[in-house]
Amino acid sequence: MIGIVVVSHSRRLADAAVALAQAAVPGARPEVAVAAGLDGTTLGTDAGAIADAIVAVDSPDGVLVFVDLGSAIMSAELALEFVDADVAGRVRITPAPLVEGLVAALVTAAGGAGVQVVEAAALAGLRPKQEHLGLPVPPAAPAGSRAGADPEPDAALHLQLVSPGPTGLHLRPLALIAKSVSPFDADVLIGTDDHEPVHADSVIELQTLGAGPGVPLYVMAAGPQARQALDALAELADRHFGEG
Amino acid sequence: MVLTVSSAAAWMASFAAMVHAGAAYLTDLDSAIGDADHGANIDRGMQAVVALDPSAFESASALLKKAGMTLVSTIGGASGPLYGTFLLRVGAALPADGEVTAAVVGDALQAGLDGIVQRGRAEVGDKTMVDALAPAVAAFRASEPDGLAAALAAAARAGAEGRDATVPLVARKGRASYLGERSAGHQDPGATSVTMLLDAAATTLTA
Repeated sequence: MIGIVVVSHSRRLADAAVALAQAAVPGARPEVAVAAGLDGTTLGTDAGAIADAIVAVDSPDGVLVFVDLGSAIMSAELALEFVDADVAGRVRITPAPLVEGLVAALVTAAGGAGVQVVEAAALAGLRPKQEHLGLPVPPAAPAGSRAGADPEPDAALHLQLVSPGPTGLHLRPLALIAKSVSPFDADVLIGTDDHEPVHADSVIELQTLGAGPGVPLYVMAAGPQARQALDALAELADRHFGEG
Repeated sequence: MVLTVSSAAAWMASFAAMVHAGAAYLTDLDSAIGDADHGANIDRGMQAVVALDPSAFESASALLKKAGMTLVSTIGGASGPLYGTFLLRVGAALPADGEVTAAVVGDALQAGLDGIVQRGRAEVGDKTMVDALAPAVAAFRASEPDGLAAALAAAARAGAEGRDATVPLVARKGRASYLGERSAGHQDPGATSVTMLLDAAATTLTA
């Protein structure tokens, strides 16, 4: 699992962003280190502290570094000069939105994705907002990572579920859906009557469904472990998507 | 000539004193086009630098590198990685035995400028510290044949001219760039603090 570092001018902002994202992503999660503020109350970034944070969560799978405002990027880039070259080589500093990107990154990383896939999910973190507000939405997942992912309709297995009450598919159940299918070698899509199917292992895409309580969910899966993925989803639905 | 630990320490102490005395002025400049923290941030950083014990360092190179690392961890704002990178690169470019010529110091200042440009991606005309530092380094290089003292004096003069030339510019980097045209008519605080660093060098590194 990759490591994640949050760089902010404000310790409180970083701690709160991490707490919010972790609350949205139950279960096993990647390690997150915060390098924020000169101390608990003095605003600022510290390249030395960022380097320490990178080393603390370093993983062979890579490290993704979130930053808040402009100079945080400069401190993060300088920090890469302070760590070993082989460590620096697997670190990515991302321009992804801090809060939305962090949620997407935790979910995606928890599924075992590498740093590039996790960063792509984080960069797409604004899509649910943009789609909801009717703004132009950039292309979905990056070219390559989704090549050939859409199941052949003929070969696909199907399952119909119902969005849980009382609040529908909000962030926590979406995170559980993404986590439940991501371990399997299968391409899983979920759609509704009002929204075209989206990838079930992407919490960012799932958020665009906007499925309220009681809405029918049409699940389609293909691949060597399609059956297991559907079974995992059915089991999750039996538990009301973790909504008790 | 030998650039000693004590002369490097004197450079840092002189810069710290100028920044401390001018902290309110720098912050006033920054409050016009920035986030009103430049004076306080650099003052905090340089106070941490002057708290270093010069006797703990075997060379000017080592002292300046430690000063850079100290600024990186104590300034907090954009000046931290920028001034920190400058001193780290200058220190790294100086020989461990301190034996320098004007050309060696010129190479070190050039390395510091290159580090700032690499870190901040700013060019001359963007209304940043580069607008003072780049002409200063160019003037230093042009005056190297006249010796270190003359080159440092030329650098300080060119830096001051570059600082003054930031007044009409529209900021294209950093917090001030959000203001667009409204940033014109104000002197850049980063270019202003750079001239203090250059003035400090001209009065301490020539003895």
